[in-house]
Amino acid sequence: MKGKNFYIKRSSFFFLFAVLIFSACKKDDNNVFDQSPDQRINEALKNYESALTGSAAGWNATIRTGSGSVYHFHFRFNASNRVLMYADINLETATTAKESSYRLKALQTPVLIFDTYSYLHMLADPDAAVNGGTYGQGLSSDFEFSLDSLAADSIKLTGRVNGTKLTLVKATQQDFNAWQNGAWGRALAFENINKILNYFKRVNIGGTIYEIRADLVARTITFSWVDGTGALRQFTTSYNYSSTGVVFLTPFNAGSQTINGLEIVSWDAANLILNIKVNGVATTIAGATQPLKADLGAPQRWWQYAINNGGLYWISIDGFHVNGVDDAFGIKTLKTDTSQYYYLIYWPRPVSGQNFDVLAPAFLIPSQNALDLIYGIADAPNFLTDGRVVFSYLGDVVGPYPTTGPAALTKSQLTIPQGYYFVQTSATSYDMVSATDAKAWISWIF
Amino acid sequence: MQKLSKSFLPLLGLVILLSCRKEDPLNVDDISGLGGDTWVKSSLDQWLYDTLVVPWNIATKYKWDQFELEVNKTIVPPKEEKVIPVMSAVKKVWINPYVLQAGELFFKKYSPKLFVLAGSASWNLDGSITLGTAEGGRKIVLYLLNDFKNKTMPGYVPADSAIPKQMFHVIHHEFGHILDQNIRRPVEFDAVTQGFYTADWINTSDYEALHDGFITAYALSSPFEDFVEMISIMLIEGRSGFDYIVNSITGTSTRGTTADQAKAKLRQKETLVVNYFKNAWNIDFYTLQLRVRNAIVNEIY
Repeated sequence: MKGKNFYIKRSSFFFLFAVLIFSACKKDDNNVFDQSPDQRINEALKNYESALTGSAAGWNATIRTGSGSVYHFHFRFNASNRVLMYADINLETATTAKESSYRLKALQTPVLIFDTYSYLHMLADPDAAVNGGTYGQGLSSDFEFSLDSLAADSIKLTGRVNGTKLTLVKATQQDFNAWQNGAWGRALAFENINKILNYFKRVNIGGTIYEIRADLVARTITFSWVDGTGALRQFTTSYNYSSTGVVFLTPFNAGSQTINGLEIVSWDAANLILNIKVNGVATTIAGATQPLKADLGAPQRWWQYAINNGGLYWISIDGFHVNGVDDAFGIKTLKTDTSQYYYLIYWPRPVSGQNFDVLAPAFLIPSQNALDLIYGIADAPNFLTDGRVVFSYLGDVVGPYPTTGPAALTKSQLTIPQGYYFVQTSATSYDMVSATDAKAWISWIF
Repeated sequence: MQKLSKSFLPLLGLVILLSCRKEDPLNVDDISGLGGDTWVKSSLDQWLYDTLVVPWNIATKYKWDQFELEVNKTIVPPKEEKVIPVMSAVKKVWINPYVLQAGELFFKKYSPKLFVLAGSASWNLDGSITLGTAEGGRKIVLYLLNDFKNKTMPGYVPADSAIPKQMFHVIHHEFGHILDQNIRRPVEFDAVTQGFYTADWINTSDYEALHDGFITAYALSSPFEDFVEMISIMLIEGRSGFDYIVNSITGTSTRGTTADQAKAKLRQKETLVVNYFKNAWNIDFYTLQLRVRNAIVNEIY
């Protein structure tokens, strides 16, 4: 470990020297930019701020959330960190301006933060009850955005957490008026469609009757119709809103005409009818007591599916929807001293060799973390050739079935003599709709 | 060779030292955001300043700041209209009772100095939600402000009392930690239910914990948490509420504690808490309890 190992030639010292002298000091301090990073970020922030606050009629904004839905907003920023907004989330957000707070901040890049709760935050809210997204995530949207680019009349932003794209385009006075005088509110009146008491809704377009089903949370519309050969056809598209009504993401080719959307005229609350225009022609969306064409095999498919898949059962958390009321019988309030209602089950052929099905509320016993059946009814389904199924009561199982209250009401609803139609809504979900007037239904999931 | 290198070395050093004397590389006189975020003050900011900053030096952060919260969670900021109701409730239920009972100086010295408010809950992977957290005796985070309702608000139903009560629970719990960290709880406290503390408290229900002599399941986690859970539950439930909880114990627990043993243990802990407040802080616990409980009753019942 002595100096031996560090023997260095003299020439290498000179070389080192030369390198030091020539390279050590390069005094010209040529910045790539002629201003410091701080000056540049401050200038960028100032430019964005004056752009945001500079538009007298505000900004039209479009956001595509991480879950894929598109929403429109109208923002008016002022110089004291306040922003007024409208949004096409629901009837209220489309008609009532809400004030909240915003600020611009340098977080390595210029960032626009909507820093107190506003309509924009409804999309990001982790409480799925607010936006129909998933619990803990909402619709995977954002309210902190990095400012990507600034042009004369548009600003592009990207969400900092979920990467949602937000585009601001300078609004005209007409755009602003469309929010203020309720044009967007009229478009959002489409959401009243599910106030129609009947499960089945129909619209007459160009002489053809279409059955229409709207999922307001997922924002999809499904048209069903009977084609020339008598077969049932379906078309589903996503939609979003404009200031005049509903816009289809995929245009609907309805025989002689192409439909790009529905113009919403008004909601008739007294008669529960939605007045609309399709390609300029006035028509209505109204309830119907029967399906356009019943899915004849659906009840049996539903029933057989549970048997084929492990002999398990269908569940419904919300119970029956009747006359516009979710969980009309209050089945969710069922409880005993040691347990509480968990979900309603329909169990085809629970005992092999025995020809009965079981309908029962399942109870959760928290102290055992287990599900239990306390009482139920045995029934027999009768599949009719017209696509209906009628359930008849055979007797009580497990324990005596209540004669009053939510459970009793659910039993008498199930066993109505007219029976039910079935509508398959996905591979593992069906809606069971009362054949009496289509005003009562229950959604089964597997 | 050695001679040579000796004479070279100082020279080399000189060259290295002198060779680089650059000008001030960057202009750092205007760093954006230095000194904290600024915005045009609203009446809400003024209210917070007058009510909490001036008298108690307690800051309230209601505007969004991701870095005050868990960065891996989806959380949204609060609605502005909920900030004043929540913070005045905090003042009535926590600040006022302590100030009246222990004096201004005590409170100014020991109170945490920052409240961070969030509009939603913090959702955990198992589907449960967190309603409050705290760190380092300095910061308390309150969640779910957007669902906060007190009895004066329209549409208030008794079930809404769960959220404010949980907030008060968090605050009194965390302040209990601060007291404990400044003057240590009596060693006898740790001995009362020694051997029962477990990291598996999360899989234990409050009901089971109670039957082993713990006021909540979280109290099972350590004597440290047990002590402040006792303080917090005793304060927010009031004396009769606490008695009701203790007297509700029946039967023998799965770990073999009889009802009488569980009750005795809780009573022993109660006595130790009351004595601790008297001896360490010269606070009459039962009067403090009465003040806190009355404030809560006024707020939500």
